[in-house]
Parts: sequence; structure tokens; C-alpha cells
Amino acid sequence: MDRGFLSDTELRTFSGRLYYYGSMAILLVFAAVVLFPFVYAFTSGLKGSTEIFTSGLRLIPKHPQWNNYREAWDSFEMIDLFYNSFVIVSVGVLLRITISSLAAFALSRLKPIGGSIVMMGFFLTLMIPGIAYLVPLFVTLKDVPVLHVNLLDSYWGLWLPYSTSAFAIFVLKNFFDRIPPEIIESARIDGASQLQIFVRIMLPLSRSILLILAILTFMDLWKDYLLPFLIITDPNRQPITVRLYYLADNYYGVNLQMAAAFIALLPPLVVAILLQRHLKTGLTMGSVKG
Amino acid sequence: MKVAYRMNTLYSENSLISRFMFRLSNQIVAYLFMLPALLVFGLVAWYPVARSFQMSFQDVSLRGVSTWVGLDNFELMQRDPALDIVWENSLEFASWSILLGYLLPVFLAILIREMRIAKGFFRIVYFLPTVVPVSIAIIVWRFIYDPDAGFLNGLLGVFGIEAQRWLQDPALAKPSIVMVMTWGAFGTTTLIYLSSLQDISTELYEAAELDGASPINRIRHITIPHLAPMMSLLFVLQVLAVVQVFTEPFLLTKGGPGRETLTPVLHIYNRAFMRADMGYASAWSVMLVIVLMVFSIGYQLVNRKITKNQGA
Repeated sequence: MDRGFLSDTELRTFSGRLYYYGSMAILLVFAAVVLFPFVYAFTSGLKGSTEIFTSGLRLIPKHPQWNNYREAWDSFEMIDLFYNSFVIVSVGVLLRITISSLAAFALSRLKPIGGSIVMMGFFLTLMIPGIAYLVPLFVTLKDVPVLHVNLLDSYWGLWLPYSTSAFAIFVLKNFFDRIPPEIIESARIDGASQLQIFVRIMLPLSRSILLILAILTFMDLWKDYLLPFLIITDPNRQPITVRLYYLADNYYGVNLQMAAAFIALLPPLVVAILLQRHLKTGLTMGSVKG
Repeated sequence: MKVAYRMNTLYSENSLISRFMFRLSNQIVAYLFMLPALLVFGLVAWYPVARSFQMSFQDVSLRGVSTWVGLDNFELMQRDPALDIVWENSLEFASWSILLGYLLPVFLAILIREMRIAKGFFRIVYFLPTVVPVSIAIIVWRFIYDPDAGFLNGLLGVFGIEAQRWLQDPALAKPSIVMVMTWGAFGTTTLIYLSSLQDISTELYEAAELDGASPINRIRHITIPHLAPMMSLLFVLQVLAVVQVFTEPFLLTKGGPGRETLTPVLHIYNRAFMRADMGYASAWSVMLVIVLMVFSIGYQLVNRKITKNQGA
């Protein structure tokens, strides 16, 4: 039976009911507050360019201007912004998953000499906040040692930092550690190489965790502002987080800004609602990380 | 030992040398698997961390020319009027954030846990702000805070309260920014507490009820002690996150009015990228990391002492 600190019998008493409906009311009020910016963006995006400055409290516009949404879509060139973000983030996810799973496989199964030192090296990046090396990271990407190439204004300047995640390596290593060694032994006896074992056995067995990591990484990288703001200065190549804010800050009426912001907020919301199950697992994983 | 013995018998015809070659090729394969990670971590993490310490003792121009200047950067930092300002600001930001956003998720999680319906609804609704980009949400928040046409002043107007300049008034700028931060982050903590609450065995509550413990006492003696370790951990993490805040003040106020919302990271950004003084900015980063580490280690020590005393 599912019960909290109150039992079902207690909930049926007068004070129990009072508590129950009272707390539900509180939760609903908070839900309204939390959702308010989304609703506000949507309805403000429907207002005319004069109405938006006159109506302080009126939420629902008198004459909804549905055309605002089309105009915002076109004038903010939203399709390009979504495309840029998508390219940046999906390649980032792919690289992070590939690099992390390769390293995790080696650390988990191949017993490299000095493996624990390498692990400590990865762990260090979890301990030190990113701001500690943001400035030298910028300098490094501007003039990569040995190769002397400039990665500013190149997506590689984002993909390389995005591909490193000690967290992903630890999660995958823990997962690989729990795969029974008998499965791998039998493949080894059949003459499979380590690469074949990795591709044909480990990766298929880890589909679920790889999927969760990919979703979490995608949603995380999609939100990034500071790094792309510093690295990508070419306006035609900036992701939506950087470019849309800049455009809203410098041009266009407030009603179009709200419409564009709502369009930009929508995809993450839809994805979060559709994939909430996966996100929940990911969250408990994150809390173990501490 | 057993494994080594088995390998011995497997390759029994072989001498020590071929066994060594076998191990060596295994090691080479292992390091080939780790090579991409080692290269990328080296380039974008380990090398920049080391370079950060190095640069803090250097004068670095935008062209990348570095000259050693000893402790000059740190001496300059001591005379920087921003030093006191950013730490006072951080303290105020952290206090506001703890006030508005520390106990709220605990409270909401306890309420949601007790719901018999619509648990999933509240879970996803509270989580939604955490998945959207801050820079986009801020476009909306800036308009909510707008002194002339914003929703917040419209709402105050209904109650006959005069319009406020939320982001321009020195007294209101910090709490206004913290509101946006709390909105964007409290969902995660609420879900963490909620999943922790689901771990409490219902038998514990049943037994307490049979013993005649009132609902409030059940919360005091079962629920809160269960959440305490997580609450203690999330307290540090919240303070660490607030001290490192950048995007919200950068986009909402640029550190203003005056220097009211200037944060350490904002100052580092200004020095490094607006004034092109990378060495000085690195000295600031090093100082910031040291302060944060001292804080988290100190917090843990104090925390351990308190729990020990309570146990005794």
C-alpha cells in the first residue's frame, strides 16, 4: 500500500482532508507560478506592437495576432538557429559518447597499467570548477599547442570541450563493470578482437545507459551559453542560445521577441515531457554523482 | 594468481618473452582505446588547468605573448576595489538564494510525496524550467521585470503599489536575479528530495502512527532526519553554484546598477575578454578556486564535527 507520513484513514478525517486539499492548492499555485513565464511569452507573443506596451496586467490579447509567430519565425531566421544548435549539439553528443565509452571499456576490461592514475586525472576535472580554466581554455583553442591551428569560430572549438565528460566515463565504467565476464570470455575464445567485443557485445548490451546519457548530454549542451558566446563570433554560425538573445536584445519589437522566445522554448519542453521517464533515471544517476 | 596460472598453462609452450609480448600488446590495445579521451582531456582540461596556474604569474597579451611578472597579478588583485565588492555580492547572492530556494524544494517534495493523485504532473511541471536555456528564458523574464509594461508592476498596480525598477534598483536587483536562478534550478533539487522520500519505508510511518506519534512528529523524527544528509550536500552545492553564477547577471544587468550584481566570474570575464588582461583574470580564477575549495573542505569538517557531537 502506498502511504506517506499520513495513512489513508487519517486522510479521511476532517483535518486530514483539510491538509490534503490545502497542500494540493499550494502545489497548484506553485505550478502556476512555475509555468507562468511560458504562458506569458505565448500570450505576449500574440499581442500587437502597441498593445504590448499598454496592457500591464491583461494577459489575453484583445485581437490575437497569430501572424506574429510567422513573422518572428522568419525575421529571427529561427530555422537556421535551430539548425546550428542541432549540428553543434548532436556532434558533441556523438563525440562524448564515443570517446567516453572507448575509455570506459579500456578502464573496465583491459586492466591498463596506470589505470587508476588516469581515473584520477578524469576525476580531477569533476572537482575543479570550469571557470578555473575558462580563460586558458580560450587561449588554448585560439592557438592549439603543437598544431598551431585556431579553433575560434570553428565548431571544433565547441566539439572538443563538449566531448570530455568524466561523469559519462564513470557511469559507463560502472555499467561495463557489471556485465558478466563469462559473456566476454566466450567471445574471446571464439577469437574476437577487443574492438569486436566492444562493438558487438559491450555497446549493444549498454544501449539503455547510452541512450540515457545521450539524452541528458543533448539537453545539457543545448542550454550552453557561455562557451559558444566566447568561441563562435560569426553570427551565421552561432547556436540559438547566443544568437536569439543577441537579436532580441538589439532589434525587433517586444511582441516578436516573446513570440520568438516561445518558439525557442517549445522544443526542450516537448522533449522533456516525452522523455520524462529517461530524464528521471538520469537525475538519480546525477544525484549519486553528488 | 589463478588467472596468471591459467595463462601460463594456455601458453605453456611459451617462454617468458612471449608472455611479456602478450601483456605488452594487451597494454597497447588498452591505451589505444583510451587515446582519444587522453588527447582531448589533455588539450581542453589538463593543459588549461596547468596553464591557469602558470598564467596567474604572467602578463598575457591577447596575441598570446607571455612574460613572467611574479606575484604582480596577486598584488594588483589586493588593491582592486572589485575584490571586496564581488565577495560581498556573492555573500548576498548566496543568502538570497538560500532564503528563496533552499528549503522550498524540501517543503514541496514533502507535499508532493503525500499526494495520492497527480504526482507525475507536479514532478514534470516543476522540472520544466530546468530544461530550457537560461538565455532564452531571460528574454521573457526581462519583460516580466520591465518597469513600464511588465507583468510584475502590473500586478503591483492592482494592489495600488507603485511600480518598481526591479533590475535597476540597487535594493531589488539581487533578489530579482536570484528569483530567475531559483526558477531555473529548484525543480532538480525537488526531484532529488522526492526520490529520496520514496526510499523511506512505509512501515516506519506505520509503526510511528501505532505508537501514537502525531503527523508533525513523524515529519520531525522520520522524514527530516532521512533527508538531512542530502540537504547538507545540496547546501554546499547550491552555495558553490551561486558563487560561480555568470549568465543571469551578465544578461540581465551586466553587473549593474553600479557594481551591485558584479560576481567573481563576471569580473573574470570582464578582465579577460573586455580588457584583454588574461594573466590577471587567471590570478582571479586561481583565487576563486582556492576560496571555493577552502569553503567546501571547511564545511565538511564542521559538518562532521556536528554529526559526531550529536551521535555522542
